[in-house]
Parts: sequence; structure tokens; C-alpha cells
Amino acid sequence: MAVEGAVSNRSAIIDYGRDLEKEIATLEGSISKIEALTARYPARWLAVKLLENDSDVKEKVRAIDGGVEIIRQAETSMAHLRSIFGDEAETVIADRRYGFISGVAKKVLRKPAIDRLTSSDKIDNIVTNRVLGIPIFLISMWLVFQFVACSGPYSDWLDGVLAGPICRWGITIIKLISLDGTWVESLWVDGIIAGFAGVMVFVPLLFFLYFALAILEDCGYMARIAFVMDRLMKAIGLHGKSFLPMIIGFGCTVPAIYATRTMREWKDRIVTAQVASLMSCGARLPVYTLFAAVFFADNPGTFILALYLFGIFWAIVIAKLFRSTVFAGGEKAPFVMELPPYRMPTLKGVLIHVWERGAFFFQKAVTIIMAVSIILFFLLNIPWGVSDMRDSLFGKVSATIAPVLAPMGCGNWEAAGSLLTGFIAKEVVVGTMGEIYVAGAQEEAEVEEPTNFFQDLGEILVGFWDATVDTVKSIVSIIPGVNLMDGEEEEEVTRLVAALRERYTPLQAVAFSVFVLLYIPCMVAVAAFRSEFGTKWALFNAVYLTALGWIVSTLIYQVGLLLGF
Amino acid sequence: MTEIRQLDQLKPGDKGKVVKVSGSGAVHRRILDMGVVPGSEIEVERVAPLGDPVEFKLLGYHLSLRKEESQNIHVEVS
Repeated sequence: MAVEGAVSNRSAIIDYGRDLEKEIATLEGSISKIEALTARYPARWLAVKLLENDSDVKEKVRAIDGGVEIIRQAETSMAHLRSIFGDEAETVIADRRYGFISGVAKKVLRKPAIDRLTSSDKIDNIVTNRVLGIPIFLISMWLVFQFVACSGPYSDWLDGVLAGPICRWGITIIKLISLDGTWVESLWVDGIIAGFAGVMVFVPLLFFLYFALAILEDCGYMARIAFVMDRLMKAIGLHGKSFLPMIIGFGCTVPAIYATRTMREWKDRIVTAQVASLMSCGARLPVYTLFAAVFFADNPGTFILALYLFGIFWAIVIAKLFRSTVFAGGEKAPFVMELPPYRMPTLKGVLIHVWERGAFFFQKAVTIIMAVSIILFFLLNIPWGVSDMRDSLFGKVSATIAPVLAPMGCGNWEAAGSLLTGFIAKEVVVGTMGEIYVAGAQEEAEVEEPTNFFQDLGEILVGFWDATVDTVKSIVSIIPGVNLMDGEEEEEVTRLVAALRERYTPLQAVAFSVFVLLYIPCMVAVAAFRSEFGTKWALFNAVYLTALGWIVSTLIYQVGLLLGF
Repeated sequence: MTEIRQLDQLKPGDKGKVVKVSGSGAVHRRILDMGVVPGSEIEVERVAPLGDPVEFKLLGYHLSLRKEESQNIHVEVS
């Protein structure tokens, strides 16, 4: 195809034909008389929109003095046009627009006479194939998660940077203003740094996820996912476009909530967001893994998979329920969507996507993480100088909540406390259990050698390089048959495993894991929900999920007891 | 010989010329906006693995429509 010459600007106004133009002119004349309208909208544009029966525009005009009269006049014109064309004015208008477009195209564009099968068509013949379509989609999702899992070395690096150099720099400043040894230092080390490290380890995972998704999006495959999965989503009252946010939910609920932005219909959007956290996120995995290791050591994978499937099951049930009750009705979102040709994604485009979304998460998360970390720090340390967590304000709050959790078999303050801290980030549940059950686990003997700023900087850079090398190795290891990684085992966990085996029965472990799956999403997800849908719906989300978690876990525990587990 | 049929009755590979787009509301608008107007040539490209939606080719691009949406599009098949 070749573009030949340009079209002059002066013919930019489309001629809608004699009959339509006559009606447009009359309507335009009436509109120009109302200043409130002309101040806001061009008269001709408004006349065309009204004849097109645009509900948004009609609503806005109706709100203006004299608007009702204009709308009545437009309706008379539409009826008149209907009698002439035997079709709605909006159809005729769209038709004229396309007539204009093809006229322009004919003038400036030369097409090859025969339609060739483009490479894009060839790709589509395979990836949206009736038989291969779904398996290919599943494989691509598997690859995305494998890729995301490769972000581990960067998480470790970030954790090291925060706990090492950044923590030390803070202490140096604290020393400079002679507050070392006071609660300020302890707030910095145990409150702020610890809180930040807890969430920061997720940032690389998020960036990796966004990177993979941006590639899928920019190459055009994302639209095919919606195309392939739409039938399934329609069955639960949602849209093909709901599928992607739900898949992202397996990584992290926060980007999943933001990913609902691609949907046009608000009700589809909010229902998708409401169930997004039921797609078990990456942060919950450490909790499952721990309990699987303790109680289902023979078959940990099955236990974990069962929890994931259980989450999906509830997502379907809740979506269907909400779509027919709280968020019933609404205009059904059409699936009128372009399937764009496949393109090679550009690195720049992908990085812009990654950066925009990642930075957005970071900004939203930082303040709330800071606030909650500080609150938690004080809860843990009041009354001042408390040594046993049980005697702290935190322990007392947990003990107060504990009876509520008794029906699901977790009515002790340790479980309640772990679940409370799970609000910061779900994986913190494991950390808290470690601190409570394995006495002194948090006190790592650190022999610190004094370092200077440049040594620290060096450490950060070398660490980053090592992390990059490890990541590349693990990405290469995704290829079947290649394994460049060597397994690692943490010893602290084994002590926790022993401690948990003493204190929980397998049934309690199941009830607890299910509760972790279902209850209130972490604070960052709640904040994301609030920023997208408002305080009311964020609270609704937190409350319904917690209630669901409590009910389901209690049922599991009580029925389990009756069955003799 | 030509006959008028609903677009969802066509099979992959079939071609037709749009004669009428019935319906109303946002979905109807959206369909028109995407260029499905009387006179445009439309071809059924393929059906999604689960039977719905269906991919069409028109105006040199690919458009996906659910069956309930393509029902409202009447085409002339020769």
C-alpha cells in the first residue's frame, strides 16, 4: 500500500447528504439560540450527536435550560429521517462517515489487487485454532509465571540493600543527631526498614509480571486471549476482558485491580475487581508452602494446587452471585473488539508500560506501608521495653480477636496475631509465625564491620550484577532440559515446621490456609481498590472477603471435626 | 441469486454485504462505529475455540463479535 498525496483540510466537514444536512441545519439553528449550550459545545457537533441518539449527550443537554425543547425537536427530526431512509439516523450518519473515509482512502491509497494471507493471519490460524487455542494460551501463561518466578535474585538483592547499606546509612544519620540507642533507631531498623523490606521484595516480581504482560499486550496476543476466553467468562456473567485481570491476580491483586481499567462497563469492572483477590496471589504462596511442608509433606503440590483451585471456585461463585445481585443489570458490555495485527513489541514501549504501572504501585504503596509499619512497630513495643510479644499491645489485641477465630480452630493469639500482620502483606504471616514460635529467630547474630559509603555503593552494584546473572540463568533454565540453578534450603524454616507440627492439627492447618486465601486482601490491595472504586466499595470488598473466609473456614473445621479428622 | 441472512448464520469463509444493522443502544452504536454499516463487505474468518465469539474481516481489519451481536447484522449473500 502506498499513500499518495495529502487531503486538504478544507473538506474536513463531512457532507451527510441533503436530507440529513437539512435537519442538522434546523437543529443547529435552534441550538445556537441557547447560549448555555453553545458556550460548551460546537452547535453542529451537538446537532449530529442528538440525531445519533447519543444517550450521554442527551443527558447533558436535558440538564440545561431549554435542553428538553431541543431534544424534543431532535426526536421529531429523527422520526422524519426514519420515514425517509427507513433506517435510524445514526445508521445513516455512520454510513456517510464511512463513505467519506473510503472516498479519502480511494484518493490516497493504492492497495494490492489480491488479499494475501499475511503473517498475522498465519499466526492467528495457529493461536486461535479451535484445538490448539486453549493449550497455547495455557502454555503462554505458564511461561509468564515461570518468567516472573525468575525475579527472585532481585528480591534478595533489594532485601539486602535495604537491610544492609540503606539501614546503615539511616543509623549513621541517627547517630549524627545523637539519637542512637533510643526508640528512634529501633523504629528505623525494626519498623520502617523491616516494613519496607516486606513489601519491596515484591517490587521485582511486579516489574517482571508487568514486563511479561506488556510484551503480550504490545504484540497483540492479549486481544486473542480475550477472544479465546470470552465464552468462559460470559458464563459467569463477565467479559472476555475480565480474564486478564484475574490471571494477573495470581501474581498480585494490586495490578489486577488496576488492570480492570481496560473494561468499558463499570459493573463488569467492579465485579472483576471484587473477585480478583480470590485468585490466590504470589504472597500467599509462602503460607501454603509452609503448611504443605508441615502437614502434607508427601504431597505438598496437591495441597497447594487444591487451594488455588478452591480460590478459583469461589471467584466463579462470587462473580455469578454479585452479577445477579449487588451489581446486577447495567448495559451488557459488547464484545465488539478489534483484533489488531501482530507486531513486534518495541523495548521502549514495553519499558514505558512497565514503568508507568510499577511506579504507580510504588507511589500508592509507599505511604500506606510506612503508616502501617509504624503503627505495628508501636503496637509491638508498647508497653515500652516489652520483651515477650504476648505482653505487648499487639499480643493483647490478638488475644482479644482470637475467640472470634475459635470456630475455625485457630482461636489462639498466635494465629490471630499472624493473620493480623497478614494485612501488611500476606507472606508476613510466615514471618510473624517464625518470630512467635521460634524464639529468637529474628535475632540473627550479625557481625557488622564498619563500612564507608563507597564500600556500600560497591556492595549494592556488585549485588545487582550477581542478581542479574542469577536471573538470566534462571530464565535460560525455563527451557526444558536446561538447569543452571542449584537448590537452596533455609534452616530457619525447618525449626518453624517442627514448632507448627506440635501446635496444629492438619485440619486446623487446612482451615487456616483457606482463611489466608479468602480473608481481607493486603493493605496495598485495599488501597488500590479504594483509589479505583472509592472507600465504600473498598470496605465492601474487605468485609465480604473476611466474612466469606470466616464462614468457609469454620464450615471446613466443624465438618472436619464431625467427620473425625 | 442472493438472499438476506443474519451474520451469525454464516460459516468461516463465507462472505456477505451488510444490508441492515438492527438494534439500539451502546452496542448498536459501537458496531456502527467499527464500520459495520450497510454496504460494507464482511467475511467470516474463524470461530473461537469455545464456539463464541466469532472473528470477522472487514475494511482490511479483524473484528470480533459475539453471536448475540452478529445476530443483529443482516447480510446479503450471493
